[in-house]
Amino acid sequence: MARIIGGIGTSHVPTIGVAYDKGRQEDPVWAPLFEGYKPVAKWLAEKQPDVLLFFYNDHATTLFFDLYPTFALGVGERFPIADEGAGLRGLPDIRGDVDFQAHIGEALVNEEFDLAFFQNKPIDHGIASPLPLLWPHEPDWPGTVVPIAINVLQYPLPTARRCYRLGQAVRRAVESYPEDLKVVVVGTGGLSHQIHGERTGFNNTEWDLDFLETLRDEPERLTQLTHADYVRLGGAESVEQIMWLAMRGALGASLEEMHRNYYLMTTTAMTVVTYEERETAAAAQQREQEVA
Amino acid sequence: MFTQNPQTVAMPEGTYVFDLRTCNRRLAFNRFFWNMIRPEARQAFWDDEEAAMRAAGLDDEEMALVRARDWLGIVQAGVNFFVLEKWARVVRKTNLEVYAIMRGESFEEFMQTRAVPHAR
Repeated sequence: MARIIGGIGTSHVPTIGVAYDKGRQEDPVWAPLFEGYKPVAKWLAEKQPDVLLFFYNDHATTLFFDLYPTFALGVGERFPIADEGAGLRGLPDIRGDVDFQAHIGEALVNEEFDLAFFQNKPIDHGIASPLPLLWPHEPDWPGTVVPIAINVLQYPLPTARRCYRLGQAVRRAVESYPEDLKVVVVGTGGLSHQIHGERTGFNNTEWDLDFLETLRDEPERLTQLTHADYVRLGGAESVEQIMWLAMRGALGASLEEMHRNYYLMTTTAMTVVTYEERETAAAAQQREQEVA
Repeated sequence: MFTQNPQTVAMPEGTYVFDLRTCNRRLAFNRFFWNMIRPEARQAFWDDEEAAMRAAGLDDEEMALVRARDWLGIVQAGVNFFVLEKWARVVRKTNLEVYAIMRGESFEEFMQTRAVPHAR
């Protein structure tokens, strides 16, 4: 069966993509960001997941407000990376596994998550900003992506709790797929930032670090916060962090944080974290017995 | 406006909720900026701003905001920042420059408030 082997939380700041494309990895201003992703890329290279399942948001690029879905899952063998006003990037299309994507969609709808589905659409920086820092892309990406877009732009938004429950349902969906696929779940966005209105430039590092601790150890507490709580604590656009809750919902109760990088350079607290599930005591005992 | 949506209550000052009513009131204005993801729309804007705005069905107030490059005013009128940033690329403004303008600061003033002031 397919199984989840870990999770990643990552910012999706568009200027990461711009800096990447301009080759600014060694630039002293940007190096603390790019260096912070190297252990994540190494971890992925070692774990060799077949699939990255993304909880991300479209920034009114592929999906416009004339029909803006609360949850939408992409189905396709290839997704081009979107032109967001500055032209195309030199990256190959994102790859997809149609049978697995369709299975996740079917399982979620049968669990009463009534998703929208998109096909043959580009994907914007919600995934494309961090993706080349996670996976190599020459000559092509090493695996496929399941894109699940979440509305964090147009109120009413899905609640934090609903996103967490979506993650839990995704875990069941993954584990009901017969093929032995290794899946890493990824939540994108955040952490603290506000990029509109007079409150632009708001950050709150204390809250960001508190969020990371709570997300790892007591995620249910974060599901009780309202959107206004997230906006007040971390800035308007930090409400994206409900997508990290979806990722967290797909992971087990007890997590090991394998790596964390936090770099607040200008306006967004650019963060990447990787998680593995702690082996339960019973599972460890069983393994020891098998070895003996 | 009547709303019982608890999600949009108690938002901090200087924050503009983009909700269904805002969207309904400003759909054409948002679409105008969204269109900038297409090269032909960018070219049409560069060729003739006024004609591009008329073709998009903007009202007088919206056209004035665009002419004035009034970034904060456009957000206050009900445009979502994520379509607005597509237009920022077209008029060759970086997001950092737009952020400074929305705060009512010069670019240099704004950057001095940042953790890495010389970052670009």
